[in-house]
Amino acid sequence: MAAKDNGRSPALRLETVALDCVMVRLFDTIDEANMPWLLAATQRLREAFADVLIDLVPSYTTVMVHFDIARLSLSEARERALQTLEALEPADDEQGETHVLPVWYDVAVGPELETIAARANITVDEVIRRHAEREYRVFALGFAPGFAFMGLVEPLIATPRLATPRKRIAPGSVGIAERQTAAYPGVSPGGWNLIGRTSARLFDRDRDGYSLLRPGDRVRFEPVNRDVFIRHGGDTTALEERR
Amino acid sequence: MHIEILKPGLATTVQDLGRQGNYHLGIPPSGGMDLASVKTANWLVGNDEDAAVLECSLMGPTLRFATGCLVAACGADMAPLVDGQPRAINTAFCVPEGSELSFGFVRDGARLYLAVAGGIDVPHQLGSRSTYTLGRLGGVEGRPLKAEDRLPLAQPQRNVPEGRTLPHNDCRFFGKSHELRVVTGLYEHRVMPESIEQFYSETWSVASEADRIGYRLKGGSALTFKEREPPFGAGSDPSNIVDACYPVGSIQVPSGSEPIILHRDAVSGGGYATIATVISADMNRVGQMQPHHQVHFTRVSMEEALQARREEQKRLERLKCLLIG
Repeated sequence: MAAKDNGRSPALRLETVALDCVMVRLFDTIDEANMPWLLAATQRLREAFADVLIDLVPSYTTVMVHFDIARLSLSEARERALQTLEALEPADDEQGETHVLPVWYDVAVGPELETIAARANITVDEVIRRHAEREYRVFALGFAPGFAFMGLVEPLIATPRLATPRKRIAPGSVGIAERQTAAYPGVSPGGWNLIGRTSARLFDRDRDGYSLLRPGDRVRFEPVNRDVFIRHGGDTTALEERR
Repeated sequence: MHIEILKPGLATTVQDLGRQGNYHLGIPPSGGMDLASVKTANWLVGNDEDAAVLECSLMGPTLRFATGCLVAACGADMAPLVDGQPRAINTAFCVPEGSELSFGFVRDGARLYLAVAGGIDVPHQLGSRSTYTLGRLGGVEGRPLKAEDRLPLAQPQRNVPEGRTLPHNDCRFFGKSHELRVVTGLYEHRVMPESIEQFYSETWSVASEADRIGYRLKGGSALTFKEREPPFGAGSDPSNIVDACYPVGSIQVPSGSEPIILHRDAVSGGGYATIATVISADMNRVGQMQPHHQVHFTRVSMEEALQARREEQKRLERLKCLLIG
């Protein structure tokens, strides 16, 4: 088990996923304390594999290294990964940008506000306050272009994914799944509990790096009213599938 | 120089070899589901292998050529028709100015790749012209083609004659039963051993949910996962893991019941255990499977997977030398 004690390097494991991918596992469970280790591992692997790297994908507990098999064999890649991560030290936890995303929290665009409130036995306003009060870390990007998995939301408002995902979700929708939170950058299907909508452009082809959010970044959600949301260019499209 | 879409067909998109290396932004590679056919169709008309082509699924489009063009169709067998007159697949032929190109019913495979001399000249986005519908990237406005779309064409890269054809042994026939080779996945250990053996002995059937995102299979027994305490952060279903990256070709089994082979437009990660990965050499074949086709999975070693990959690369190198030197 990759049990992690404070201040001790995580127990490292390599898992092979395909001929040209090595999955570096640092942890088994989601924890904000994983972040400096994952950032450090990502940074080292990016440098060590620079000449053969196709993609490097950090997630909550793992970093996937996709390399060019024409230039490096799987066994060489495994060896290189192990060497690279010897005596890993956690990265400076202050790195990453801080973003404030304006969110119009409202049952009109956040149909699960009421269900979350009912589950937690608190008011809708209290759900909003608790969601907006924390600062979240971006653990990973995935699922759709610019979709950032963030955490951790307070246990009281943590809510399992919908049993049946929606077929279409409006861009900017902010949701909760267990103790994760995220905003949908574009129209997509999705099973998260929706609580509001942001006007922030999360994915932009004309932006350097395309995605607003990157692993390691910090995010706060700032409640705004409908007028401000619209003034910032927020999308007011009604949910096409009300539950 | 352009092509006009008269009828779009079932799901016709612009594709090239895809945009690898963007999973860290949540963007899958996209590109042709059968990359070997993308390449051979391009070579037949004198294009580089990465020129953009049309991927036509199950029911082809009807196109009008504003300019006379050399074209070639590889992959699925849907007879090309120039103003109603049949032409051969795997062979370059001319479509005269003002003519219509349509396609007959699919007789084998699922996806036909139509290359046009010069290639389809839509803008590159993130290094590729491939359409990624969910992310609205590439192709024509990031979506499947519709009637009245116009596809701009680039200048032909090489002058090659019509009538060039693939060697007989390279004209592929896919059939209705498919053997897919896999290497065992990350989370196989989470499944009961006898359940894994069952998985490999079973005949699976391609479900109707078979598209560029993934191929769902049905008809086999549900997997039995080992008892466990879910690790913190993972969902409570036994097939859940802590969200992690999925490579293309990986097989996940949500709730243990129906396996899904992730393909080139797949979500880049998520919370389901992946039990195996289809080897790269067989992913082109997956793109040629139709609903109701039969599938068997066979385990191979990493060495065998590597060998299969080398052989396929050698075959394609040989074709490339033959067709564009």
